[in-house]
Amino acid sequence: MKYIVIIGCGKTGKELAQEFSKEHNVVVIDRIKHALDALGEDFNGRKVLGDALDLKVLETAGIKEADTLILATGNDNVNIVISKVAKKLYKNIKKIALQVYDTTKKRIFSEEGLIIVNKTYILVEVFKKCLL
Amino acid sequence: MFIIIAGAGRLGILLAKKLKEDKHQVSIIDKSEVVCNRLAEELKGVLIIQGDATNPDVLKSAKVEKADILVSTTSSDADNIIICNIAKDAFSIKRTVSRVNDPKHLLLYKHMDVDVPIDSTSILARIVEEEASFSDVMNLLSIKKGRLSIVRVDIPQNAPVVNKILRDISLPPSAVLISILRGPEIIIPSGLTKILAGDEIIAVTIIDNEKQLIRSLIGKL
Repeated sequence: MKYIVIIGCGKTGKELAQEFSKEHNVVVIDRIKHALDALGEDFNGRKVLGDALDLKVLETAGIKEADTLILATGNDNVNIVISKVAKKLYKNIKKIALQVYDTTKKRIFSEEGLIIVNKTYILVEVFKKCLL
Repeated sequence: MFIIIAGAGRLGILLAKKLKEDKHQVSIIDKSEVVCNRLAEELKGVLIIQGDATNPDVLKSAKVEKADILVSTTSSDADNIIICNIAKDAFSIKRTVSRVNDPKHLLLYKHMDVDVPIDSTSILARIVEEEASFSDVMNLLSIKKGRLSIVRVDIPQNAPVVNKILRDISLPPSAVLISILRGPEIIIPSGLTKILAGDEIIAVTIIDNEKQLIRSLIGKL
């Protein structure tokens, strides 16, 4: 059982939270209460309302105990900044995955230890598999 | 010097104008086409680049690799940090300065190696607090991000220093009286200068000792 912190409870964050909370300890952070409410009554994890750029909020979410960190805020720069600072400060985190929309940024910030998920790249891979 | 400014809000524009007046070379970057078009008229001799400064190609077109300092003034703290990081990592800029929008994000700036994060909200709050709490004291100038300040203290009748010579007054460390304004007279004090009621004292002090300085001059806060 892993301790997973998910930042951003939009479409992607919400799906991931619901999926992972079946088998893992999940904490979801979002700035908007409405977004956290969308997880539904039977969501089996913890919700933290707050700004994840504030390190106090990350620590309230138990980032110091987390095994995995997922960034799905919908803002590339926010995802990149938080993942970089988390990698630097919280050595307990074994895997950090972040969504990055901008392909140029994916190239620059592809550093060791960060798993960068880019929709365009995934689509290209899927198309290649289907067509070639 | 050559200075790049990312973000042409009120702060960015004012800064560009001042730096230009001081004969520095300036580039300014902003996302908005409308803002950039307006600036082209307003800021003569400044290289104006329209684009997202978190994109390295945009920074490159602002000639960032030739810059001495990059100043980020956008309203997004995540953007400011990324801009400063790219400037340092990809273009070897030595000094990055940034506005901090939300004081709660200051720690993030520090951990992400932004050289000079300026938390204007906290600086302003401190000044307002000072203005509100000490009527006999006025902060004239704050330098070094508010760590050093020049203050004016009006000496009331009942102050403990009245009719004493400076040599006999104990002041906190790192605080110096620069001058005494007595009516039309400006006195540069020596150890033998006597302080009178009604004097206005100009002093420089590190911020940590400001309250102690005021207490030793007027006996209260």
